[in-house]
Amino acid sequence: MGPAPAGVQHRGAAGESEVMELALEDTCKEGKKESSKKCTLAGSPVDGLLQPVKLSQAELYKEPTNEELNRLRETESLFHSSLLRLQVEELLKEVRLPEKKKARIDAFLREVHQRVLKVPSTPKTELTDQTWLPAGVRVPLHQVPYTVKGSFCFLPPAQVTVVGSYLLGTCVRPDINVDMAVTMPREILQDKDGLNQRYFRKRALYLAHLAHHLGQDPLFGSVHFSYTNGCHLKPSLLLRPHGKNERLVTVRLHPCPPPDFFRPCRLLPSKNNVRSAWYRGQSPPGDGSPEPPTPHYNTWVLQDMTLESHVQLLSTVLGSASGLKDGVALLKVWLRQRELDKGLGGFSGFLVSMLVAFLVSTRKIHTTMSGYQVLRSGLQFLATTDLTVNGISLCLSSDPSLPALADFHQAFSVVFLDSSGYLNLCADVTASTYHQVQHEARLSMALLDSRADDGFQFLLMTPKPMIRAFDHVLHLHPLSRLQAACHRLKLWPELQDLGGDYVSAALGSLTTLLEQGLGSRLHLLAHTRPPVLEWDISQDPPKHRDSGTLTLGLLLRPEGLTSVLELGPEANQPEAAEFRQFWGSRSELRRFQDGAIREAVVWEAASMAQKRLIPHQVVTHLLALHADIPDTCVHYVGGLLDALIQSPKETSSTGEEALAAAVRCYDDLSRLLWGLEGLPLTVSAVQGAHPVLRYTEVFPPTPVRPAYSFHEHSRERASLLPRPDKPCPAYVEPMTVVCHLEGSGQWPQDAEAIRRVRAAFQLRLAELLTQQHGLQCRATAMHTDVLKDGFVFRIRVAYQREPQILREMRSPEGMISLRDTPASLRLERDTRQLPLLTSALHGLQQQHPAFSGVARLAKRWVRAQLLDEGLTDESLDLVVAALFLHPEPFTPPSSPQVGFLRFLLLISTFDWKNNPLIVNLNSELTVEEQVEIRSGFLATRTQLPVMVILTPQDRKNSVWTQDGPSPQILQQLVVLAAEALPVLEKQLMDPRGPGDIRTVFRPPLDMYDVLIRLSPRHIPRHRQAVDSPAASFCRGLLSKPGPSSLMPVLGYDPPQLYLAQLREAFGDLALFFYDQHGGDVIGVLWKPTSFQPQPFKASNTKGHMVVSQGGELVMVPNVEAILEDFAILGEGLVQSVEARSERWTV
Amino acid sequence: MATLGLRAPHCNSQRPPRLPVGKMVARGRKRAAQDSEQGIPSPPGYSAIPIKFSEKQRASHYLYVREHRVREGTKSSWPQKRTLFILNVPPYCTQESLARLLSPCGLVQSVELQEKPDLADRPKEPKSKFFDPTPVPGFQVAYVVFQKPGGVSAALALKGPLLVSTDSHPVKSGIHNWISSYADSVPDPEALRAEVDTFMEAYDKRIAEEEAKAKEEEGIPDEEGWVKVTRRGRRPVLPRTEAASLRVLERERRKRARKELLNFYAWQHRETKMEHLAQLRKKFEEDKQRIELMRAQRKFRPY
Repeated sequence: MGPAPAGVQHRGAAGESEVMELALEDTCKEGKKESSKKCTLAGSPVDGLLQPVKLSQAELYKEPTNEELNRLRETESLFHSSLLRLQVEELLKEVRLPEKKKARIDAFLREVHQRVLKVPSTPKTELTDQTWLPAGVRVPLHQVPYTVKGSFCFLPPAQVTVVGSYLLGTCVRPDINVDMAVTMPREILQDKDGLNQRYFRKRALYLAHLAHHLGQDPLFGSVHFSYTNGCHLKPSLLLRPHGKNERLVTVRLHPCPPPDFFRPCRLLPSKNNVRSAWYRGQSPPGDGSPEPPTPHYNTWVLQDMTLESHVQLLSTVLGSASGLKDGVALLKVWLRQRELDKGLGGFSGFLVSMLVAFLVSTRKIHTTMSGYQVLRSGLQFLATTDLTVNGISLCLSSDPSLPALADFHQAFSVVFLDSSGYLNLCADVTASTYHQVQHEARLSMALLDSRADDGFQFLLMTPKPMIRAFDHVLHLHPLSRLQAACHRLKLWPELQDLGGDYVSAALGSLTTLLEQGLGSRLHLLAHTRPPVLEWDISQDPPKHRDSGTLTLGLLLRPEGLTSVLELGPEANQPEAAEFRQFWGSRSELRRFQDGAIREAVVWEAASMAQKRLIPHQVVTHLLALHADIPDTCVHYVGGLLDALIQSPKETSSTGEEALAAAVRCYDDLSRLLWGLEGLPLTVSAVQGAHPVLRYTEVFPPTPVRPAYSFHEHSRERASLLPRPDKPCPAYVEPMTVVCHLEGSGQWPQDAEAIRRVRAAFQLRLAELLTQQHGLQCRATAMHTDVLKDGFVFRIRVAYQREPQILREMRSPEGMISLRDTPASLRLERDTRQLPLLTSALHGLQQQHPAFSGVARLAKRWVRAQLLDEGLTDESLDLVVAALFLHPEPFTPPSSPQVGFLRFLLLISTFDWKNNPLIVNLNSELTVEEQVEIRSGFLATRTQLPVMVILTPQDRKNSVWTQDGPSPQILQQLVVLAAEALPVLEKQLMDPRGPGDIRTVFRPPLDMYDVLIRLSPRHIPRHRQAVDSPAASFCRGLLSKPGPSSLMPVLGYDPPQLYLAQLREAFGDLALFFYDQHGGDVIGVLWKPTSFQPQPFKASNTKGHMVVSQGGELVMVPNVEAILEDFAILGEGLVQSVEARSERWTV
Repeated sequence: MATLGLRAPHCNSQRPPRLPVGKMVARGRKRAAQDSEQGIPSPPGYSAIPIKFSEKQRASHYLYVREHRVREGTKSSWPQKRTLFILNVPPYCTQESLARLLSPCGLVQSVELQEKPDLADRPKEPKSKFFDPTPVPGFQVAYVVFQKPGGVSAALALKGPLLVSTDSHPVKSGIHNWISSYADSVPDPEALRAEVDTFMEAYDKRIAEEEAKAKEEEGIPDEEGWVKVTRRGRRPVLPRTEAASLRVLERERRKRARKELLNFYAWQHRETKMEHLAQLRKKFEEDKQRIELMRAQRKFRPY
């Protein structure tokens, strides 16, 4: 990770070439252009680090050419910035099909065309007689019910044409598909084929015969069936070339009827084309009730008829306008990253192309626009228009015989009519999918408007899988359960319409049901679409239940989550019955304080963690009540990670309540301090400076009630001491509080004297708190410890001018200048910046209740990986705060689970070398200031630490990462996060249950050279371990409050003391890794560089010994003795020292 | 994979080749043999003394000792001839145990443990028990002053191995050590108060003296006739600090900027335009570089 020696050499070389060129420039002007090119090439960042750009004066101030001016102007008017323009160009280059491949594909298409036309015909048979089909191929359609009238014979197609994005030049990589429409000859079809799936049966048989013949052809590497856009009635045939070209292209054959074969007026959304008598096998209902309309069925027939006209429309619109094509490609990439384009009812690339065509026809997009502008206008339109209410139409004619938009709204949830006016392009798109598209478009527009630097990255390059984008996720598994749900919800007409696809039929009703039930808790509900499956031609088509699971994603509204009450109408209102019916047995009559008697539903939830999981209760209750889906089929993924931040004894809460109790106690204490009488100077401010006081301590403190018999006593100092013969007492960490005093001119102006005066204040503070409030106190020179209600606070008196006095340096001329010293920086950090950060993050927690959970999970994970050294509490808190303040392209997380996943994502993908992580606390930084910070960062990159986190209060130095992590530790963190993320996501997305959720929290131990096993007896926080230990020790705590007047043992943690000794003594030779939350092993990694034999130096003999090597005396680490030192230093704590590798040589 | 990640930076540096276990052991034996024959190898000028924590340990550390010497003319806080300089003192070895271990060589006057050897001779300030916390010990160096010069030569001839902790003089380590240092860290408020009071009294006295002296000199010219102007005079002057002088300079600069005419002459116009263009060009170059980097990192593959 650190600057590799190769890179350094290269940089040197680049500098040299520049000097040479400068010399050249003076002599000959001709060579300038060439040399500048070389200059940029040589300066190209090989080691992945951005270098400041150096351009010569002559380069900067030469006369501009016309071309250059045009380009600059174009960039200004058509794009956001030159960077965005370059990025878009690069992206398009990447997703475009290269010309070379295009030629190969064209050749393949010509072959396909010829072969398809040559397929022999078959004699005429009844549709139900399929014995003529050869054995190696199965009909790619579920023929239910089997009997159907009509006859079929295969005749070579009347026409084979290429349709779709390949022709338009808007197809994007990685999967290149070419759609070919195969027009069936008129002779195959009969008059009434539009009825009762007859057309679809013939279409499937036609494909089966084609498949059989093409499958024997050596030209094709694979011949598969698939469903067109996931529609179960419409199979298509996938052909891939043979050999190494197999990945080149997939040709999809879509049979279609001859043009004008079906009369569009028969296929209106209100018409029925699947008779109940045939479909359900019942006699026609005698009571004369009309047959239910089959809008989706009709649409699927219409789609086949309009394939060609759509291509014509699109090619006239997009034809010569390259900007529009770019725009369509960008929109496709945008949809693809959000997983919106696949499956039945997905917002496909075709829809987007049609949308662009619509926007061109309404003059919202002009053909001269750039790709970026098209993308922006498209998103703007999607964000602001609701197609579920106001449909749009490409049809320009005002023929009164055409159906009205309202008819379509009745039959479909989203309406977008094509140019014929009969076909709804969005027929299969569900309302939820459309709302998700809208939501994404809105987010993207906000991002584009904010002029953020990384807009491109977030918009087009960041994938948003459901598990990362949604707060909670639930899987319905097995899917066959939905069949029963369809019956329960009385969805027979829909089943008839959809040809028995019960998943799609139930989807709409289920989402509406849940949306209604979750109400104010829900921001957005999304569902996965069944994937488009492929299968071999010799196999039966997959059943509906084979399409895996149905996964729903819930985006929660944090403000709605806190209520446990679902308030219904008053009991005597007519809506009350409806409410009762909706909530079933959970609805109760309740009398409220204002006297009203209302129907209401109350959920049981005491803690924040349980309240966050109320949606789980709602979902299981409603699904069981209305859809007959038992809770064994609902796999709710929302609170699985909670167990890791629950304290060992409390299993119903994730600690928010305990933290709030500590903060309340702190508030009380600060009030006491404010009102303290008798201090020479009054208290002007009390500020918290501890993770507990910003809700990010992994395991919140509990009130301590020490048992006297367990401890040694120190009567004269009123303190308890640990006893060597007992297990280590409970770990109590005092919470730091900084106390500022009012200004005064009486302070001495000498650093040493200030320390003495501060100590006097600490003593006085302890005295007064004991006298006036009866609190147990203990003062030292630096702080006063106060025991209040079982919590221990560490009050530090601060003097505002002290850091400045520490900074003062007097030059020989007597001029006083201010220079940062380590002591002044430390003091500044502890007494000024830490309180500011704590209060800012405390505020963030009030805004985003999930912050605490995410920060604590993140820290738990980092420490569980034994990576504590160098990663301070504060730096990790700030990284998590960035997830909430800059969530793009997501929304701020509302559950710890999704927040933790994004933490892993951020850690594993952030480019720490070239970017500072700017955490804009309280939105204090303007866009301009952020730009300034970035450029300042680039200029001083080499002096900054490897991980740079900047805040409004700390715009240059990255205070919290100054002392670490080292490049190696950061690299290790990145690697571990990148490994953990997919594992955890896979576990959470597994519908059969997550398995062992603690897997990613267990550290890999095989990489360490030495393992030091510790005895749990002396690990005070042993019960916080990831895997809760079987045996636990008494830590000298009483369960009931006793007469507590002695100070408990503070901050006594033997493993930490041991680590400090190890690092001090052997820090040059090895790295030590430990999990402070109950780890019982210390991993030791030798530093390979320190094992090189070195010449003797008096200043560097630590733990080395002198040996003669080849006649020379050199120093090498005395490893055998050091291994024994490990055991000596940790006597009593260390169980065993395991040397696992012999990686040292002498 | 994780291992690779962490060690990646060292991969190109020459890593010591792995040795099979058997060879390790063999090498150890060989060295032991060598020890008994020729004595322990030690750097020129030093002699090596093995030191162990107790009987139980098998391997030992080595103290490298020599007589403390400084070049002619430089002053040292340690007496010549009587001081023994010791390198590589293990962390569990305290002043008391070192004194005890070396007492057979002669009467020990004082033992001083330090993190690093003294290079320059600087005055040592008395350390306060309350305000300067004792650091965690690592490997240290020691200066042992004997009462007589004979002690040094006797120590140089020591064979060892020395044992830090014996049954008669056990040294605390591990849990016992931490518990006793925790007990020591619990302060005595009265002692603290007394120390603060004495320090502040001395401080106040010093300040008062200085002020009195300054008052005396106030307004009185020295032998060359210069008068010292202080902050405490009747008309206070600007304090002589860097910040203050910077402030004055800044004010001057702003005054000048206010008077300057911008975009007044045609050449000024031309230059601003050119400046703008140059900025754009610079930005463009920067952007190109960033794109180059992203391309190298394969950042343009949306799949």
